[in-house]
Amino acid sequence: MSGESPSSVRKVVVHLRATGDAPILKQSKFKIAGTDKFAKVIDFLRRQLHRETLFVYINSAFSPNPDELVIDLYNNFGHDGKLVVNYACSMAWG
Amino acid sequence: MKHSHRVRNSDECAGGSVLLLDVCFVVYGMDLEGSVKGIITWDGTLSSSDFSLSAHTFCDKWKRFNPSFPPWLWIPCAKPQLVSSHKVEGYVSLENMCLGKSSKEEDNNRSLTWKEERNITEMEEPFDYATLVCPEDEVKHYDFHIIYSPSFRVPVLYFRAYHSDGRLLPLNETEKNLPDHSAKLRSENKWTFITHEEHPYLNRPWYKLHPCGTSDWMNLLFSSDTTTNKNDVDIEQYLVSWFSVVGQVVGLKIPLEMLETISNDS
Repeated sequence: MSGESPSSVRKVVVHLRATGDAPILKQSKFKIAGTDKFAKVIDFLRRQLHRETLFVYINSAFSPNPDELVIDLYNNFGHDGKLVVNYACSMAWG
Repeated sequence: MKHSHRVRNSDECAGGSVLLLDVCFVVYGMDLEGSVKGIITWDGTLSSSDFSLSAHTFCDKWKRFNPSFPPWLWIPCAKPQLVSSHKVEGYVSLENMCLGKSSKEEDNNRSLTWKEERNITEMEEPFDYATLVCPEDEVKHYDFHIIYSPSFRVPVLYFRAYHSDGRLLPLNETEKNLPDHSAKLRSENKWTFITHEEHPYLNRPWYKLHPCGTSDWMNLLFSSDTTTNKNDVDIEQYLVSWFSVVGQVVGLKIPLEMLETISNDS
């Protein structure tokens, strides 16, 4: 992951929203470099929630590929200056 | 309704009675036709005619937003089994996708190339025909079919992989050639396991992603702050949304522009 050079990198506000019976985070909004991949958001959630099985999706419509850049997702699906990311876990799958 | 649905799925995964479960579906299907349609909470499934509708939308959008890739095509065919429906049925097919996994993690995006891209390099080096195939890096060919499952009432991804000479790949090699991210997904998520089953139309063994979690996560995907009513669900977009998840498992990416039209339309 690049994106540590402070001035040139655009930051994106990501709003993490729990759905279903997923635990709510103490801090639900955070900033992330636009040049980071979406995988970083997923890893962050996984660490915070201590869950391996997570379902992460955007805009009630799709689940982004972890390779997507956060800035691209923001530009396409951001609203009111932030990118809303929904997450769910502990489904009774299988 | 929701609860019994889940129980049924896990039964079937564990090899429970499929026939009995199909009966449940018929009852449920009739229920949906009733006058209370508007207030029924959507359970993440779709009917076979909705499948056909959303499949055509999916194919059209793929062609529009992903023109450099081979197209998904609707293959009409008659259902061989005893099904009450006499409508024309079919499935969605993308064949002869070249999937040569590179060893570099950051190269994930490029791991999928269509054969025409290879032709371009061929044209640049016209003398080199004889040395094109290198056994170590040999490109594997993948066929993908999206087929409607009448018992789960969701789309199911079937696939197979083969060498250039047509020999089929065993499962471990098929999996090995998928992008690294795919392996991670499959090991972490219980709902993305691969089984070896008969292709419902071709009657040959293909691999498939087991659909037992599909309706649950599709329901999640379409849900919003308010509870999801069947009427609020844009069923035409079902396959596009579905493929945003399933495509990740086999390393096929949906262009963001294609997904953007979902949120604009709704």
